[in-house]
Amino acid sequence: MNLQACYAALGGNYDDVIGRLRTERLVRKFVLKFLDDPSYSTLCSSLEAKDYDEAFRAAHTIKGVCQNLSFTKLYHSSHQLTEALRNGWSPEVEGLFSQVTADYQQTADAIRAFQSEAEGQ
Amino acid sequence: MSENKGYKPSILITDDSEMNREILTDMLEDEYTIMEAEDGVQAIAILEEHAEEISLVLLDIVMPNMDGFGVLKVMNQKNWIENVPVIMISSESSASHIERAYALGITDFISRPFDAVIVHRRVVNTILLYAKQKKLIEMVEQQIYEKEKQSDMMINILSHIVEFRNGESSLHVLHIHTLTELLLQHLIHFTDRYPLTQSEINLISTASALHDIGKIGIPGEILNKPGRLTDEEFTIMKTHTTLGADMLSELPVYQDEPLVKMAHDICRWHHERYDGRGYPDRLKGDDIPIAAQIVALADVYDALTSERVYKKAFTHEVAVQMIMDGQCGTFNPLLLKCLAEAADVIQKEFQTSVPVYDNQKTMKNIVKEMLYK
Repeated sequence: MNLQACYAALGGNYDDVIGRLRTERLVRKFVLKFLDDPSYSTLCSSLEAKDYDEAFRAAHTIKGVCQNLSFTKLYHSSHQLTEALRNGWSPEVEGLFSQVTADYQQTADAIRAFQSEAEGQ
Repeated sequence: MSENKGYKPSILITDDSEMNREILTDMLEDEYTIMEAEDGVQAIAILEEHAEEISLVLLDIVMPNMDGFGVLKVMNQKNWIENVPVIMISSESSASHIERAYALGITDFISRPFDAVIVHRRVVNTILLYAKQKKLIEMVEQQIYEKEKQSDMMINILSHIVEFRNGESSLHVLHIHTLTELLLQHLIHFTDRYPLTQSEINLISTASALHDIGKIGIPGEILNKPGRLTDEEFTIMKTHTTLGADMLSELPVYQDEPLVKMAHDICRWHHERYDGRGYPDRLKGDDIPIAAQIVALADVYDALTSERVYKKAFTHEVAVQMIMDGQCGTFNPLLLKCLAEAADVIQKEFQTSVPVYDNQKTMKNIVKEMLYK
């Protein structure tokens, strides 16, 4: 699986990211880094603890990172969740969080598949 | 920049997401020294220590502990924003956020997702622009300083001649200059009653050197009489105020110059008293120009702390106490407050054998005022 295929699998826009960050080296470096970013687990734990300020910031960070990397699908769901959390809890949070979880898993799976092949080479 | 090989300007990247910081670092680290802060509190701590060296701040908005707006507020309070440009990078792209950020003094706003080339170019441009501006400010300061230095020198020579004839220490004039400036700086800090600009403060301080030029017309026997003056002698002595003022208003040229007008007021009224019991015109309260009020206070303080033919020098503490107790005339209560507040600085300033008033710093204040007001 190459980087382009990875982007297709996670619902991202490869042309867009390469247009902005300019080099494949940079894109690749940060795609692989995505798995180390703690924001998703922070989001889960803060929602569980009902700390909605913290949850807002975590969702916001995920959104920002996805925007940088053109992870379009996860960007959309995290963006909606961010807005739902902007003024604390709202009824939509639960459904949107499930969507973010599903999109995050899809993204993480695609990156892991790309990573294992990249390491195998 | 390029002439200075090996020198890398510093950029402070403030973003709570490590990935975001790394993306920016990766793009900029070849040309710049990168410092990183994870939130606003860290950014302020770094600025606190390195504001002088940092050429640019890249700032996120949403962060824990203190957000980007919080950082901007502190940068405004501490005046860092005037010298350290800020580029805000955020996915908060609503017009109200952007407007608020610009109102707080940012140079540029870049929305996420950003284009690497655009970020890079804006960073380079902003740093160059500020570097050029800084250089220009320094050049202007240097020019004004050189110009002021000449006239300052002439005024000091002139007043030295007067003091020389009085047998007073020639440091007196320098002391008055320093005291006048210190007191005025304190005054504008805690009241709006006398709206003085930095250039007016500079003007008053410069003119203060001429406060006693009228003594040139007082006979030497009276001027340097060791004992007490008779009533008649004292009446003559008192005319040094009007003599000085008349000399200035009879100048064949420069009569309308602010410096000459200021010096005239100071000469004529630096022996008036706030309660109306001074001379020559028995002016009362704020009918006495603030410049003359300030110089009067500075004059009394310096007379007390200096040795004279008829008295020893009092210590700083005793002198301040005597003035506060009203033993040496009546002063504007606001000025007494200035004296009390400035007392420590005055003492420190005068411990050094020769008080050097920092002209270069004065010029900086004036140029700053021209730029930002």
